[in-house]
Amino acid sequence: MSIVSNSTAAFYQRSLGQMSGLRSELERLQAQVATGERFDRSSDDPVAASRLRALARAERLDTVNGDNADRLSRDLEAASDQITGVSNLLIRAREIAINAGNDAIGDEARNAIATELEELGEELFNRANSNALSGEPLFAGEIGTSAYVRNPDGSASYAGTAVSGSLTVADGVSIERGVTGPQVFEFAVGGTPGDAFALIADLAVALRTGTDPGAAARDTLAGFDAALESSNRSQTVVGARLAWIDSLQQNQIDREFLRAEEQAEVGGADLTESIAQLQQTLTVLEASQASFARLSSLSLFNAL
Amino acid sequence: MSSVLINIGQSGAAAARAALELTSQNIANAGNADYTRRTLSQSEVVGTATIGLFTNTAFSGVRIGSINRSDSTFLQIGARDAASDLARADAELTNLRRTEGALESAGVFERITDFEAALGQLEGDPLDPSLRAAALESGRVAADSLQLASNALTDARQSVQVQAQAGVDAFNVEAIELAQINEAIFRALPGTAGYAALLDRRDATLSDMAEQSGIAVEYLPNGGVNVRMGDANGPVVVTGTAAYALSGAIAADGTISFDLNGTAVVPASGALSGYSSTLITQRDLQSDLDGIAAQLISTVNSAQTNGVDRNGAAGQPFFSGSTATDIGIALASGTGIATAPAGSPALSLDTGNIAALRSALGSNGPADGADALLFGLSSRISGQEVTRDALATISQSADSALGAETAVDLDQEAANLVRYQQAFQASSRIIQVANDIFDTMLGIR
Repeated sequence: MSIVSNSTAAFYQRSLGQMSGLRSELERLQAQVATGERFDRSSDDPVAASRLRALARAERLDTVNGDNADRLSRDLEAASDQITGVSNLLIRAREIAINAGNDAIGDEARNAIATELEELGEELFNRANSNALSGEPLFAGEIGTSAYVRNPDGSASYAGTAVSGSLTVADGVSIERGVTGPQVFEFAVGGTPGDAFALIADLAVALRTGTDPGAAARDTLAGFDAALESSNRSQTVVGARLAWIDSLQQNQIDREFLRAEEQAEVGGADLTESIAQLQQTLTVLEASQASFARLSSLSLFNAL
Repeated sequence: MSSVLINIGQSGAAAARAALELTSQNIANAGNADYTRRTLSQSEVVGTATIGLFTNTAFSGVRIGSINRSDSTFLQIGARDAASDLARADAELTNLRRTEGALESAGVFERITDFEAALGQLEGDPLDPSLRAAALESGRVAADSLQLASNALTDARQSVQVQAQAGVDAFNVEAIELAQINEAIFRALPGTAGYAALLDRRDATLSDMAEQSGIAVEYLPNGGVNVRMGDANGPVVVTGTAAYALSGAIAADGTISFDLNGTAVVPASGALSGYSSTLITQRDLQSDLDGIAAQLISTVNSAQTNGVDRNGAAGQPFFSGSTATDIGIALASGTGIATAPAGSPALSLDTGNIAALRSALGSNGPADGADALLFGLSSRISGQEVTRDALATISQSADSALGAETAVDLDQEAANLVRYQQAFQASSRIIQVANDIFDTMLGIR
């Protein structure tokens, strides 16, 4: 009995262990091919899983930043539209001020010009208090109520804050939400501060009741130029911010691509490789099943 | 003369028949994992004549000897120790994986990120009531996910505690059974089939005990065993016919400690050891989870106190509670979220405070803590898998080595079947020859 015996139970157990190992390997590969993901729990690859979590988080937060950038872009577009309106309005007011500066025109015509100026003043006030799509005032800085209020004497004064606050639109980048009323409507002529509302209203009053309406009208031209310069400067600022947001959005799209690429690289299964491995494992499993069937039928009892 | 031949033939036939029976027994038990291959020893019978002066010897056939087990104590110990180590790794890995699944599906990391995203959206339009409500609700979901994770962890821990208690019970039952087997072995006659069956049961019980905890076995000359826990210097579990009870006590922090007959013991291997270390890991996970919850609560609540809500009133706490178990929402409505810094008027569009909160949550915040928690656990599991696979291989090869030595090989038994059949036929032929000789003698005239 010195022959080394080959225990029958051990043979079956060994074969079973080998085949079930191959089978679970097959199932893993099959899941990879079916889901396109390399693993389904963190412990399969802790480092990659942590990286995937970080990428998913960055994507989530970047989406919010992107939404905020879209919103800010819309608000700035609205502000830009209003400022364009303001500029056109100031140009028209300057035109009729030149007309009024002609001493040859009569009181009737001057009164008509004064009426138009009052209309323009009203429009300017409305534009200054216009709201963004979200319902918040465009030119009030950081307060949620009207930018300009009418005083009892009919003049307008600014009720908002001096700065307009900023909004995070990309990781580490925040852009000012808009321009404040004073930036658009206020100016200085020869060191004397003034605003577009008073300029127009005062001219209208001078045209109706002034002693020398023609000279008064000519004197306001410098003021209109300065007012136009203010609104144009604000327009430029808003335009530059819009361009900045555009480039940030482009960056974001690029980042999204890179992120998707990395996600696929870190967590995605390489289909070609998975399928090839699947085929290889299948072949091995089939071969071991066949050889198991042959070996297990090879019993001495069959020969008795 | 011829009667001696008949006796010899008869004894040979009987021996061959007994060997055939034993071979059949081996074949029948080929699938029995606890069975050890038996062999039959035989010895020659020689009669010595002492009557008169004749001192010659006379052959008297063969005697059926004892039933022997092909046993290997050395391989037994190797297989048992390897199984102990494997049981430890298995117990730990299975339970840690369950814990990982529970924590992952609670989605603490994702929910905290969602909360941060909702705060980001609110920053875009701080006065929008629906965005405020959304931020409050995602805060609630984040709190719920922490509670969910905490509950899942508690469930996983209780499951391990139950398994550990069941393991202790099984260990005790087996120790008592082993003491009874010892008693039976002391009374049994060596060389009998009953004695061999008792030794089989003894080895099976020892294997079962080793699954629960590593043991050191002292083999007594009569076949009985004394068992100690751990190594040869460990506390006694079974000595002779006496067994001592193991007990497990769950501490307040959920970990388990073991006690054998009044002495504190720490199993170094076996499933009990795996349960014990899993419980320690789970305790640490719970405290990490509580840390994440505490960080979320304190970061958000202190940001709230630095700001004013939509109506310009001082910010009130957002979260209530202090751990992952009792975290909840304290704010009644989204209006209470303090987006603007202190001193701002009502309906302020200033988002300074919420921006500060976002950056406080963003760098080394609770989301990073949740990621680190999962990363730590999954790395540990991943390492354990490697260890487990290595131990499984070791255990398998130890089992194979033991199996080759002690288990039934059907081919060998088939050969024995033929051999003993031939021996039986040859012995019956001897009887026939004796008969022929006798007839020849009678027929002489």
